[in-house]
Amino acid sequence: MDEMLREYAPILMFLAVAIGLGLVLILAAVVLAVRNPDPEKVSAYECGFNAFDDARMKFDVRFYLVSILFIIFDLEIAFLFPWAVAFKDISMVGFWSMMVFLAVLTIGFAYEWKKGALEWQ
Amino acid sequence: METIILFSPLVGALLCGFGWRVFGERAAMWIATALLFLAAILSWIVFLTFDGTTEQIQILRWIESGSLSTDWSIRLDRLTAIMLIVVTTVSALVHLYSFGYMDHDPQWREGEVYKPRFFAYLSFFTFAMLMLVTSDNLAQMFFGWEGVGVASYLLIGFYYRKPSANAAAIKAFVVNRVGDFGFALGIFALFFLTDSIRFDDVFAEAPRLAETQLTFLWTEWNAANLVAFLLFIGAMGKSAQLLLHTWLPDAMEGPTPVSALIHAATMVTAGVFLVCRMSPVLEFAPEAMAFVTVLGALTAFFAASVGLVQTDIKRVIAYSTCSQLGYMFVAAGVGMYSAAMFHLFTHAFFKAMLFLGAGSVIHAMHHEQDMMNYGGLRKRIPYTFWAMMIGTLAITGVGVPVWILTLGEIPIGFAGFHSKDAIVESAYAAGSGIGFWALVIAALFTSFYSWRLMFLTFYGEPRGNKHTHEHAHESPVVMLIPLGVLALGAVFAGMIWYKSFFGHVDQVAKFYGIPYAEATEHAEDHDDKTQAEPAADGPADAHHVDAAEGGQGDEKGHGAHHYAFVGEPGQGSLYVAPGNTLLDDAHKVPYWVKTSPFAAMLIGLLFAYWFYIVNPSLPGKLAENQRPLYLFLKNKWYFDELYNVIFVQPALWIGRQLWRKGDGNVIDGSINGVAMGIVPFFTRLAGRVQSGYIFTYAFAMVIGIAVLITWMTMSGGAN
Amino acid sequence: MATDLTLILPEVFMACFAMLGLILAVYTSKDGMASQLVWATSAVFLVMAIWIGTTGEGTNVAFDGMFVDDAFSRFCKVAILLSAAAILLMSEGYMADRGILRFEYPMLIVLAVVGMMMMVSAGDLMSLYMGLELQSLALYVVASLRRDSVKSTEAGLKYFVLGALSSGLLLYGASLVYGYSGTTLFSGIIQTAKSGDMSLGLLFGLVFLAAGFAFKVSAVPFHMWTPDVYEGSPTPITAFFATAPKLAAMALFARVMHDAFGSAVRDWQQIIAFLSVLSMFLGAVAAIGQTNIKRLMAFSSIAHMGYALMGLAAGTVLGVQAMLVYMAIYVTMNVGTFAFILMMQRDGQPVTDIASLNLYARREPGRALAMLVLLFSLAGVPPMLGFFGKLYVLRAAYDAGLIWLAVAGVIASVIGAFYYLRIVFFMYFGDETDEVMTGSKSPILSGFLMASATIMVVGIVNMFGIEGAAAFAATALVN
Repeated sequence: MDEMLREYAPILMFLAVAIGLGLVLILAAVVLAVRNPDPEKVSAYECGFNAFDDARMKFDVRFYLVSILFIIFDLEIAFLFPWAVAFKDISMVGFWSMMVFLAVLTIGFAYEWKKGALEWQ
Repeated sequence: METIILFSPLVGALLCGFGWRVFGERAAMWIATALLFLAAILSWIVFLTFDGTTEQIQILRWIESGSLSTDWSIRLDRLTAIMLIVVTTVSALVHLYSFGYMDHDPQWREGEVYKPRFFAYLSFFTFAMLMLVTSDNLAQMFFGWEGVGVASYLLIGFYYRKPSANAAAIKAFVVNRVGDFGFALGIFALFFLTDSIRFDDVFAEAPRLAETQLTFLWTEWNAANLVAFLLFIGAMGKSAQLLLHTWLPDAMEGPTPVSALIHAATMVTAGVFLVCRMSPVLEFAPEAMAFVTVLGALTAFFAASVGLVQTDIKRVIAYSTCSQLGYMFVAAGVGMYSAAMFHLFTHAFFKAMLFLGAGSVIHAMHHEQDMMNYGGLRKRIPYTFWAMMIGTLAITGVGVPVWILTLGEIPIGFAGFHSKDAIVESAYAAGSGIGFWALVIAALFTSFYSWRLMFLTFYGEPRGNKHTHEHAHESPVVMLIPLGVLALGAVFAGMIWYKSFFGHVDQVAKFYGIPYAEATEHAEDHDDKTQAEPAADGPADAHHVDAAEGGQGDEKGHGAHHYAFVGEPGQGSLYVAPGNTLLDDAHKVPYWVKTSPFAAMLIGLLFAYWFYIVNPSLPGKLAENQRPLYLFLKNKWYFDELYNVIFVQPALWIGRQLWRKGDGNVIDGSINGVAMGIVPFFTRLAGRVQSGYIFTYAFAMVIGIAVLITWMTMSGGAN
Repeated sequence: MATDLTLILPEVFMACFAMLGLILAVYTSKDGMASQLVWATSAVFLVMAIWIGTTGEGTNVAFDGMFVDDAFSRFCKVAILLSAAAILLMSEGYMADRGILRFEYPMLIVLAVVGMMMMVSAGDLMSLYMGLELQSLALYVVASLRRDSVKSTEAGLKYFVLGALSSGLLLYGASLVYGYSGTTLFSGIIQTAKSGDMSLGLLFGLVFLAAGFAFKVSAVPFHMWTPDVYEGSPTPITAFFATAPKLAAMALFARVMHDAFGSAVRDWQQIIAFLSVLSMFLGAVAAIGQTNIKRLMAFSSIAHMGYALMGLAAGTVLGVQAMLVYMAIYVTMNVGTFAFILMMQRDGQPVTDIASLNLYARREPGRALAMLVLLFSLAGVPPMLGFFGKLYVLRAAYDAGLIWLAVAGVIASVIGAFYYLRIVFFMYFGDETDEVMTGSKSPILSGFLMASATIMVVGIVNMFGIEGAAAFAATALVN
């Protein structure tokens, strides 16, 4: 029992530090910051929308498009990192596999570009 | 050549039936007719050049199933050759005749096309009949057997607007089913016993059948007797023998050419052909043979007696056919297959001619069929009159009694004279009292009703519709030509082929290709026969060849030699058991026996003359005095009424019960309950579940997987 | 490595073809060359089918067992390619008339087909999933190809959401299987999965995998998407859904069950029998209430999948053979039937109402007769090929001792015959209505209709040798 509790001790310490640091920062802002509010500043930030509106409104499908494209290239990077890290140890097959993967992605990218998916007219 | 004979009617039927829109109506009919004439000419060539040895011509492999292995092939022997000429000749002539007879048929409206259909049916019938007679095994024969049944059904019901024709067609078909069931059972029995349905194998096994016992219908039977009996039931149906004869008179509802072809000359003789074909089996079945004889004799007597009082011209001839078929069965039953075939052969000519002549009369009288409305037509339709006269002379057996004059050894007379006398003599020689006397009396009746028909139709004063009589006209030449050709046959067929069918043993044996040998003495005793037996195969065949070369020369020598048939079952087209010396015996019957049919014919003629020429009021008075007898005959011994009560009504009752109660309530009820109650309920349920909402669908999937998981957990997979 | 690539050369070639076509079209005339692309794609499919069908021998594995090339996969690939080529050819005219013939369409089909080929050749849970998703993603898109139609969009979305759910189930099953067997290779799993002492975790994995496949073959209760997607998608896409993907999914099902769990037949046999009997009955019962021929065909295909699963449930060589024969016949029948449905139109607008077939036989006796043959075949009326397909699976089930399943199949087919015959009834004895279809005169569609109907009749002679090939494929799979 003790053994197990002792293993959780670092987590407890981590928690305490996090809470303390958070409190310090907020209090510092209250004490030190200059306050000059205007409506834009105090409203909640939401990409492209009014923050307080009907949640079931229609919005442009292009948002999805952009986010999906983002995810694809995000993933690509996620694949590239371990590949790059282990580059020293992998064979030529590994190298060319990644090249093919990138080529396929590029073809997709070229297609969507030409198709006009990236334009926001 | 045989293949051409066999298939040209089929080609004709197909071209005519389906192609008339392409060729035109007339051309289609001519194609069918021409192809049949081709078949007829080739058949005559085959018949005349045939040397008696059995040939088998394979056409295709047919059935392979277990130990049942059957080819589709033509068996060409004398029996087949005889049937070939009978079938194709009559058929070709009937085709030709139909050009005239079927023209402007009042049954059809203006502009309706019916003739190509008729010709196609006729040709199809001919094909099926040829299939039957050329068959090399029982299955093929059964195919032809059913094929002619179908064609007969179609042609009897050809006037499908007439309810009576439809009823007659159905009756013919149903009654034949009874016979065919027997035939089929016979085939099954043979296959069961011999493991083959090929004639060669069956015949070779025939002697063994006689020693086998078989249980059928809880009774011990001798296998040969049982098989012969079952096959004969099939023959009874097709050949309209007593008990299964009721369809034949009704079949006269069909057009007259059909009656001539199918219900006189060819199809109805299929039963006789079957019995002759199966002679190797029948020879080992004495009880069945006796049954055939008795039934044939009864039929001959019964049908002739009914024929005495009928007034419909076609029905008279129909009963006459029935009666003549009885003659043939008596001949076959006593073991004189050759005489049966002889009568079949001559009968085909004169009966077809009588029918075609009757058709010509009917045609002239605007489709009036009642003889009571005829009279005095001799002058108006002279050719038809003479044709009918020849036919009547032939059927009644007019000829010169042998003790007065013969031509060489051949008696002089019309065709029926030879064949009928042959049968009567054989019946006497076989010691069948009932056969002999029934046939003689039937001959008397035959003579009476045939002459009655002639006198009522052609002599006396015109009766009935005056207008019709005034417009009576001779038939066109296409109808007269067939009459002429058949007249030749009716006159000469008997004399020409007398020797072959009913001559001495060696002549007959040569004709049928049966091996024969010189007999030591007439009354061979048992020891002799066993000695002769082993030698029979080799020397007998050698002798057969010798005789074939030198046989023609020594006409006179025949009296001196005695020959006997020595063939094994299956050798030659007929089989005559070693003890069967009937052919010789028949020639040695007393003269009073030989003369008796002739006397019967004379008496019949005289009575008819007295009744219908001298004193025409007499028949009416006689009918009044002997009313019960008259009605008994007039109503055909009340067979139809009896059958109606015993079979038809109960069958209809059972049918109605099964239909209304069994099918209607029980089966339809339960099926409808499921089909209109339960299934639609589930359909509606399924429709409701298919809501269109994704969450419903996802829910169904989750439920599904939950059920599967639970099930697997509970049952623990395969454990 | 080189030999590995040789084995997947057809797949590689087709993937390259898809990418090249895409780039070529987008940089030149775009939709203007869609028609040519359709023809080119069909030609490529045909060439590939011949290539795969005539070359290739024995059983070969590539990428350490992740990709299997054997008689079974070749049989399925040829069938997939041929049916896809047929559907493409049939769809060209229809889609051009409706203005939805985009150049992406043939390319998406190519990608879907590549996915299917991966599926039937999968020898590992990962390559399985890759093929499955490649196929599914392409299909989600083509389902909503008609973007301006609410129904088509709805169909695509429903298919996508439910497909995602099923993929989730499948992946969960795959992870369970991996967890309890320690490998994703089928050849490894089969060592662990032994009938009788299969761990419960592995059994759960099996159930979840089966659920995922059942969704793809639209077996009850994972079938709910089918009618809506079939109805909403453009008709050529429906035709495609009903043929190649079904075959591929069924083949994949068989592949996993036999290659990965072949030693535990009795464990999955009951699952599949359960799916089979439900599918047969629901397909038969629910189709009766349909008035739209595309929805009707959806339920029809659910029922047919039930029969194919019956073959699979037998768990024997004969069972797999029966399943393959059944699927081949089913695909052929559906090609013909959809050719007919594609021809159904009134004043240039497609109609799918069954009532519009009233007295069709009077106007178009030839096509009505062909459709009659196909419907009889679908219903399993004896002289037609469809009957022999059913006979095959029934015999397989009977031989495997699943007599109750065979009996249920017969009863379901009797119920199912009703709605096929109802169409025949409408065509031949229906009422006179104004709302009759005029029909199109496309020779390609007529050709496919007639050819399919002819095959249904002529095929009974020797089934064009499908039996032998299927037997060969089945032996390669089951050992």
